[in-house]
Amino acid sequence: MDLKFDLLPQLFVNGVINGSAYAALGLSFALILRVAGRFHVAWAMIYTLAAYVAVVAAQDFGLPLVPAIILGLAAAALAGILTEWIVYRPLDARGGGLLGIFIASLGLIIVTENLIRLTWASQTLYRPLPGFPTELISLQDVTFTTLDLASVLTAWFLLVAVALFLKYAPHGRWINAVRVNPEMAQVVGISPDKVHLLVFVLGSVIAGVFAIYAAMKFAAVPDMGWQPLFLAFMVAFLSPRFTPLSLALTGIFVGLVESLSGIALTANWSPLVVFSVLLAYLIVLPIRLPRLAKLVRAWAG
Amino acid sequence: MEYQADLANQVLIFAILAFSLNLLLGYAGQVTIGHAAFAGVGGYAAAKLATAAGLGFAPALVAAVLTAAVVGLIVSVPALRLSLEHLILLTLAVSVVFVTLASSTSALGGAYGILNIPNPDLAGKRFDYPSEYFLLFLPLTILAFLIYWRFVESPFGRVLKAIREDELATRALGKNVFVYKMEAFAVASGLAGLAGAMLAFYTMLVAPAQFNVTQSMLIITMVIFGGMGNPTGPVLGAALLVLATPVLEKNLNIAAEKAGLVRMVVYGAALVLVVQLRPQGLIPERFSLMVVPRWLNRWKRPQTAAQSQAIGAAGNSEPSAALSFLDGYHGSSSSAQPGGRGNNDGTVLAVRGLKKRFGGIEAVAGVDFVLPAGRVTGLVGPNGAGKTTVFSLLTGVIPPDEGSVELRGKDVAGKTPDAIAKMGMVRSFQDVRIFARLTALENVMLATFGHPGETFLGLFTKPVAVRAAEREAKERALKWLSFVGLEGKADLLAGSLAFAEQKLVAIARLLATEADVLLLDEPITGIDPQWATRIGEVIHTLRQLGKTVCIVEHNLRALEQVADHCYFMESGRITAEGSLRDLMSEPRLVSAYFGT
Repeated sequence: MDLKFDLLPQLFVNGVINGSAYAALGLSFALILRVAGRFHVAWAMIYTLAAYVAVVAAQDFGLPLVPAIILGLAAAALAGILTEWIVYRPLDARGGGLLGIFIASLGLIIVTENLIRLTWASQTLYRPLPGFPTELISLQDVTFTTLDLASVLTAWFLLVAVALFLKYAPHGRWINAVRVNPEMAQVVGISPDKVHLLVFVLGSVIAGVFAIYAAMKFAAVPDMGWQPLFLAFMVAFLSPRFTPLSLALTGIFVGLVESLSGIALTANWSPLVVFSVLLAYLIVLPIRLPRLAKLVRAWAG
Repeated sequence: MEYQADLANQVLIFAILAFSLNLLLGYAGQVTIGHAAFAGVGGYAAAKLATAAGLGFAPALVAAVLTAAVVGLIVSVPALRLSLEHLILLTLAVSVVFVTLASSTSALGGAYGILNIPNPDLAGKRFDYPSEYFLLFLPLTILAFLIYWRFVESPFGRVLKAIREDELATRALGKNVFVYKMEAFAVASGLAGLAGAMLAFYTMLVAPAQFNVTQSMLIITMVIFGGMGNPTGPVLGAALLVLATPVLEKNLNIAAEKAGLVRMVVYGAALVLVVQLRPQGLIPERFSLMVVPRWLNRWKRPQTAAQSQAIGAAGNSEPSAALSFLDGYHGSSSSAQPGGRGNNDGTVLAVRGLKKRFGGIEAVAGVDFVLPAGRVTGLVGPNGAGKTTVFSLLTGVIPPDEGSVELRGKDVAGKTPDAIAKMGMVRSFQDVRIFARLTALENVMLATFGHPGETFLGLFTKPVAVRAAEREAKERALKWLSFVGLEGKADLLAGSLAFAEQKLVAIARLLATEADVLLLDEPITGIDPQWATRIGEVIHTLRQLGKTVCIVEHNLRALEQVADHCYFMESGRITAEGSLRDLMSEPRLVSAYFGT
């Protein structure tokens, strides 16, 4: 096996760049999963929608980049609210449970993805979002772009902002209260329904931001939401705690595992490496840490 | 003709994929989003064997089924103890790993897959055209459907449904749910492997894109749309989804490149609407093609809550049902338990030094007590005293940190719930944990031990014994339903019964296990006095049947009527014992109980 250790600095930086985005995506998914309790697979739909609205606004309607981005994010927030309000909440009230929400979510993705394909069937489905002043930055053996730098800064800004919001802002504390005990939160006058809408807005906007970055870096494509969904899933579930810091570290870990596998393997093997880590985690999960600790203690005498 | 045959072949292949997924999703309640990957394992195995090893159609097909079944079995091992959301994640990971492996391995053809798979050749007959393939695929599909039908419409399928409804309650009835889940995964994966191999031979190629997550989603859509938990629903779902494209193309005059997309938009929207408005799908769980005969025999069908009330008014709801049952019971069953009634001193269960901590909380702090044979013992105490935790420790739902639980002299501490149930100690639950979408009769029939129809091999190798055992299980279940006065409601869905009736079904279910130690968790709490009296009489009769009963109960008036002896539990310890009247005459215990 040919080990390419000379690529280590570049692969490490790539890992941090991607991992920062994964951390933010994980935060977006975890906010909805852990607070509203929705297994929101239609998160991929929100992601795709944000990118397409921004691209269409910029390309077809000639809007400058910033208004196009704002429009994309507004569309994501609105789609998030409508999904919770019109689809999930009534389903939950009827006892649809996790499976019902998962299925409805699946239906929404199928509709959105194929509507996009139908709408642009006569044009190219590959739609990049132009307008960002992308330049190369080279530091010794490492190269990245201004877009990468912006993406990392945005991810960390969002992670820190959400951490501060959850800790200090009244609405942030509402989110924590509903996450820990929705019944008790209701008793003290916090509406879980409103908090659910709030996390859908937050989660959708964060997802939208990185969808737009993806459209700027590569392009908007109808099935662009799947891969980030899988990564967001993974970060949200692998993170030992629901805190932006824990999610950030988990995201960086996933990004580094994916990227550093490039030392030994070609890029097409990286999903195998990442998902093998997930598989290993899920295999170990049933053993449970306290039991594992007990086994280790017993073994150590 | 060839066009129609082509569509029919696609329907057959997707039908196998859909009904095999239904076995997992609709019957066992295991959500997987990687089903297409198992078809892929079968497809690639058949393709590789046919192209590289020159294996013929039939052996390649058999190898594909076995390979997929083995891979399914392996994947099922970590899946057994995972929550629903983690199971979804696991199957997603399996799917991505499979597609990445297939598309990155040159021996499997990389992203293009394996091409030029030879046409099937069977007994000198070569299959070239879709109409010829149809003659080959139709019997294969029928055979696969019959195998699937045998699994799901049988005592085995009944256990799968019970697992779907409530895994813990199923374990408490002595079923090893892990083995059932592994078998379900293996069978479903094997059938998916068959479909994958058929697809490989039909299209003469296999490629990673044929078996990715999107394809799995399509199969899920077929199952949901057709109807989960019904044997034929997914077949209808597969047919509708496959045939929608040509219908859109020809009848609505939609261009070929758009028809597939329109189909998916319609089905995506339908999926959202179906789950909101008709979650049971087009064909509901208990729908049968035998509608007319069933209509003529309406009394046999599961009935609604309204019908339940009507029957309740007219049916046998006399408390004396349990008492009259005694005449035919004595000496018939409880002595069947290994080890007989109890030790020489008459103790059936001896608990010593039982401890359990949850983090910093000592929920059970060294509990000692005994249950004498044929007596009703009460376990009383304030909320949070640890009474239900003691039941969970005794029955293996949670393992104790320390202490012993001797059932007829054998230590059962740390054994699994199903093992303890088989040794003769079973429990009910505070929240009843009835299998809501099964009938009362099916709930009780599930308590049978050693039913050959509940085993993987027994289903196919002992059809006569299965029929006989099923008849016997039904008779026995009806007997116990009659004991609790519910034989008139045997065919009602358990979820449609009144809460007190559900508690009675739970008691009948325990009794049908023929266990002689019954742990009843709040059997009377939360029901009106009339029902409380009735359940009290049933419990009183249990003593006369020679059962050893331990009751956790907050309805002290009712408990006083049935309990011979009581233990008082507070803060994880037993602090007093005696008759309930004696305990409740102690001011300190009254204060501890009521928190005054």
